[in-house]
Amino acid sequence: MSERRKNVIPGDVITTAPYRNDQNTILDGRLIISTAVGVSEISDGVVRVIPLTGMYMPRIDDMIVGKVVTHTSLSWELDINSCYVGFLPATDVFGRDFSARSDELNTRLKKGDLVAARIANSDRSRDPLLTIVDRDLGKIDSGELIEIPSSKIPRLIGKRGTMIQMIESQTGSMITVGQNGWVVVHNEDYNGLIKAKKAIRMVEKMAHLHNLTDKVRKMLEAEK
Amino acid sequence: MDDLKRNRIIELLQEEKRIDGRALKEYRSISIDVNVIPKANGSARVRLGDSEVICGIKIQPDRPFSDVGEKGIFICTAELLPLSHPTVETGPPNESVIELARVVDRGIRESHMIDLSQLVIKKDESVVGVFADNVVLDYDGNLFDACSYAATSAILTAKMPRWEYGEAGPELQDGLEPLPTTTIPVSTTMAKIGGQIVADPNSDEWDCMDARITITTNSDGDICALQKGGRSGFTADELATCGEIAINSSGKIRETLQAAVSK
Repeated sequence: MSERRKNVIPGDVITTAPYRNDQNTILDGRLIISTAVGVSEISDGVVRVIPLTGMYMPRIDDMIVGKVVTHTSLSWELDINSCYVGFLPATDVFGRDFSARSDELNTRLKKGDLVAARIANSDRSRDPLLTIVDRDLGKIDSGELIEIPSSKIPRLIGKRGTMIQMIESQTGSMITVGQNGWVVVHNEDYNGLIKAKKAIRMVEKMAHLHNLTDKVRKMLEAEK
Repeated sequence: MDDLKRNRIIELLQEEKRIDGRALKEYRSISIDVNVIPKANGSARVRLGDSEVICGIKIQPDRPFSDVGEKGIFICTAELLPLSHPTVETGPPNESVIELARVVDRGIRESHMIDLSQLVIKKDESVVGVFADNVVLDYDGNLFDACSYAATSAILTAKMPRWEYGEAGPELQDGLEPLPTTTIPVSTTMAKIGGQIVADPNSDEWDCMDARITITTNSDGDICALQKGGRSGFTADELATCGEIAINSSGKIRETLQAAVSK
């Protein structure tokens, strides 16, 4: 492991250099200290710790996958694999002429439906606001949900999407990755789906290892 | 569970396929480590797929139950740790956990695995009590079988201290001996989902099954305990299929258990 990346536990001093502290670190005088179990990373003068595990913390513009839990007369509530509940306003789906009196929310999205959404607004004081007004967002009609820790999503996507593209092309699947750790895999072919799921589970298990894309590729090629 | 996955599981089963790629009657891989808790009288850790259970055995002298003074005591419990699944909370066990403990207990008790009549220190006064405590570390469905295998392998490898009845009650003697066992019970659980019978349901299948049945067989291949759960029912033919699966798959599982405890 390089000088810039090391395994840390809460309380470990990562550096005393004059860097800016980012997620999962605190600044104590000159010391930048980790607050999570994970891998510390220093890049562009910013120190952050990528946690090994933990809850998903909503960030604005994250693309996520949510599951409809319930609805009120004005909005749906989505389970987004977080300590927060996601709110999807009805106007997002019905448009601006939505009327709480005449439009029935159940007709568009019902309990148990999966939705690809983007976090439109989020601060820690209230539940995040979701939106589905964008390309590739909205109700997910087919595929299978796989849950992995949200901290491992960057490894699943890989550098500039190499890992996810490789899994997609090797297995012939279409994969929707939510930053919250929920991944939907669509594949008409049963064996392709099983292989894609196996690859995702492998990334989850080996997220801390180097050269993961090659390892996953080898596994997928051996399966052929 | 989301509707997409539920529908997918049912659709696949109509083609006799399962969501994790197994055959309908196929069990997940079973791995067993014994004597994992050095301070317990016996212990085992079992992984059934991604379900993981650890079992500890405590053996100590006890007062016998008043109606069976000529028999020792066997009690099996189960507990789910909050780390085993996101929905599990601390606190008193819920109905399903109580059922889990009772089904595992019954399988071992009704197969007469432990010869309780040999566990008497003094008739009506003092007997040996065997307590098997299962702790679920990771949940991925079918805890009935995982806990049963853990308790069974822990009992098979347990070392029992000896007691003699003296003036002050039971007195500990030197030496350890294995528990007196007569047979190896193997629990098998089948789920009915959309009219199909599958063996060893994982957590996804567990969440969308209509009914389930747990059948325990002894070393002779005879059925000695049975528990049915879920809202739906089984037809006579389906029950016969479940019985066949139980008897057919138990042989191989029993070999796995025996191999693990003789290591």
